[in-house]
Amino acid sequence: MAEEVRAPLAGNIFKVLVEPGAKVQEDDELLVIEALKMENLVYSPCGGTVKEVRVKPGDKVDEDAVLLVIE
Amino acid sequence: MRPYFEKMPAFGKELKENRLARTRDSRAKLEEVEAGIAAARKAREQVGLPADAINKRGSLTVWQRLEALVDPGSWHPLHSLYNPEDNEEGTTNVVDGLAKIAGRWAVVIGFDNKVLAGAWIAGQSENILRVTNLARRLRVPLVWLVNCSGVKLPDQEKFYADRRGGGTPFYRHAELNQEGVPILAGIYGTNPAGGGYQAISPTILLAHKDANLAVGGAGIVSGMSPRGGFDVAGLEELIAKTRDIKERPPGRVETHFGETGFLSRVYDDEKGVLEGIKEYMRAIPAYDPAFFRVAAPAEPRLPASDLYHLLPFNQKEGYVFDDLLARLVDGSEHMEFRPGYGPEIYTGLVKVDGMLLGAIGNRQGLLPKGYPEYADYPGIGGKLYRQGLIKMNEFVTQCGRDRLPVIWFQDTTGIDVGDIAEKAELLGLGQSLIYSIQQTEVPMMLVVLRKGSAAAHYVMGGPTANRHNVFTLGTAATEIYVMHGETAAVATYSRRAIKEKDSARPLEPIAEKMNEMAKKYFDTSRPAYCARYGFVDEIVELKALRGYLKAFAGAAYQNPASICPRHQMLLPRLIRG
Repeated sequence: MAEEVRAPLAGNIFKVLVEPGAKVQEDDELLVIEALKMENLVYSPCGGTVKEVRVKPGDKVDEDAVLLVIE
Repeated sequence: MRPYFEKMPAFGKELKENRLARTRDSRAKLEEVEAGIAAARKAREQVGLPADAINKRGSLTVWQRLEALVDPGSWHPLHSLYNPEDNEEGTTNVVDGLAKIAGRWAVVIGFDNKVLAGAWIAGQSENILRVTNLARRLRVPLVWLVNCSGVKLPDQEKFYADRRGGGTPFYRHAELNQEGVPILAGIYGTNPAGGGYQAISPTILLAHKDANLAVGGAGIVSGMSPRGGFDVAGLEELIAKTRDIKERPPGRVETHFGETGFLSRVYDDEKGVLEGIKEYMRAIPAYDPAFFRVAAPAEPRLPASDLYHLLPFNQKEGYVFDDLLARLVDGSEHMEFRPGYGPEIYTGLVKVDGMLLGAIGNRQGLLPKGYPEYADYPGIGGKLYRQGLIKMNEFVTQCGRDRLPVIWFQDTTGIDVGDIAEKAELLGLGQSLIYSIQQTEVPMMLVVLRKGSAAAHYVMGGPTANRHNVFTLGTAATEIYVMHGETAAVATYSRRAIKEKDSARPLEPIAEKMNEMAKKYFDTSRPAYCARYGFVDEIVELKALRGYLKAFAGAAYQNPASICPRHQMLLPRLIRG
C-alpha cells in the first residue's frame, strides 16, 4: 500500500535525503523544509521503499503538498 | 514510592543509521569547538611561572595542590576561561570548581600562585562572588586554597573599591558562616592585606609553617609614612627597613598559631595542610547519598556519544530534545509531566545517580497542527507559547513543593510576539515564571544547549535567577544574545533604510553596517566569548555533561536545608493521575 508523505507546513525544500528505491524505516529522516527561519525535518510515517520523490531542493511547497510516496 | 521510581517509563529512540551518517559533519564541527575550548583551558592552566620554578622554591602550584586534595575523577572545573576585565594575565587568578574531598562534595577555589604570587586582579572578586554563591545555593562547604599576595597595586582602581569590589567576598564569607555553610581554608605563602582577610574570613584556618597572614605585609609596613615624594636618602632608609622586615614578615605562624591562635593547625609539609582539610571535610554534616536515592544509580540505556549526532551544530536545524535528555539520565527513564499540553516544552521527573530531579527543556521542530491554540500561525519549537509557559509555572511550583532540584535545558529563540501573543498573556506568563522560580527554595542548574535568547533566556532559569541558578553550562553549540544578529540589524536599520531610499541615497553603506552588526553579534555570542564574559560558568563537552549533572545532584542532596518525604510528594501522583 502506498503512503503519501505530505508537507507539514508551507516552505522551501532545503534538502532531500532519500532517493527513489531507498529502503526506509518509520521515523527515518526524509527531507528538510526551510520555513519559519528553521530547517524542519520531515520523518517517514512508516517503513517501506521510496517509490517516488516529487520535490527537489529549492521547490516551494504548500502545506499538505505531496512530497514523496512510500510503498 | 518504589513503584513510581524504581522503574520509570523508558524514553528516547535509538539513533538511526541515516541520521548517524548525515550528522558526521556536525559532530566534527562540535568536536572542533570542544578542542578549541580544551586548548584554551590548557593554556589558562599554564599562565605565569612554570611549575618547576614554583617547586624549586619548595612550594606546590595551585594545580598540584588541587590534584592532591580532590578525590580522583571528581573535579568539575568552572570559570576556566572567565576573564571579564580582559586581564593581560588571561585569568582572574583564581581556579575553581565542584569536587569531592574525602567523599563529600565541596566548592573548591584557590589562588593561582604562579601568577603574581596569587594577587588580586580585575574580575577576581566577581569570580569569587560566583563561587561563594555556588556554595550558598548548594549548601556545601567552600574550600579555599589561600595563597594571595594582595592587590596587584598598579591596577587597584579596577577592583579595590565599589559595591562588588575586592572586599565583597569577605561579607559573603560572613553570610555563609551565618547560614551554616562552612568555609575551610588551607593557607600558604604570604597573605598580606587583601590576602590576610582572604585567610582570616573562613571558618577553619589550617596553615603551612611558612605561611603568614596580616593586615599589612612587609611592603606596606616598611614604606608606611608618605613624605610627599621620594629621594635617594629616603630610598636608602627604605631599603634598610625592608631588608629587616622581609626577614620577619608580620603575621607569621608563630604569631597566629602561637599567640592569637587564629590558626587551628599548622603543618610542616604542604600536603599536610591538604590532609587536614580532608580530615575536616569528613567532620562536616553530609547525608550518605543512599538517604535520598529513590532507585539504584544506573547509566543511561542510550550512549552519551549519540549526543554529538543529536544536537545539530547548525542552529537552524531541529532535533528531538527527548532523545537528547534520554542520553543524560539514569536508565534513559522519566516520568513526563503533562505530555501533550504545551508541546514546545518538556517537563518531567528524571533520576541522576539515583536521585530525583525535575527537568525542563525546549523541544524543537514543527509543533502539532493547531498549536498555539490562540493563533492562526504554526508553532515552532524553541519558542515559548501560552501553554508551555503555564506548564513550566506549574512544574517549577510543584518541584519547589516537593523539594526537587531542577535542571533547565535552553535552546530558545524567545517568547512568541505580536498582538495575538499579547492577548494570550505571554508577557504576564513569562514574568509569572520568574515569580514561580523565586518562590521556590530549590537549587537549579542550566544547560544552554544552543540558543539562549531574548526574555526566554531569563525566564527559563537563566543566570539572572540569582538566588536559584547554581551554575550555567554551555556547549560547543551555545550562542547567547538578545536576538539573532540579523534580526537586530533589521530592528536597528530598517527605518534608516527607508529614509535613505526616500532621499535617493545609495543603500550599500546601510547594508554594510547591517552586516557589521550581524558579525559583531556572531562574534560576541560564541562559546568561548560566553565563557570569558561569564554568560556561562563553563563550556562543557557533550560527553562530560552527565558528570556535571551528577555533581549537581550529589551536591544539592548532600545537605539540603529542607526535605519532602518521597511518599508525600505530589508531582509523581499528578503525573500518574
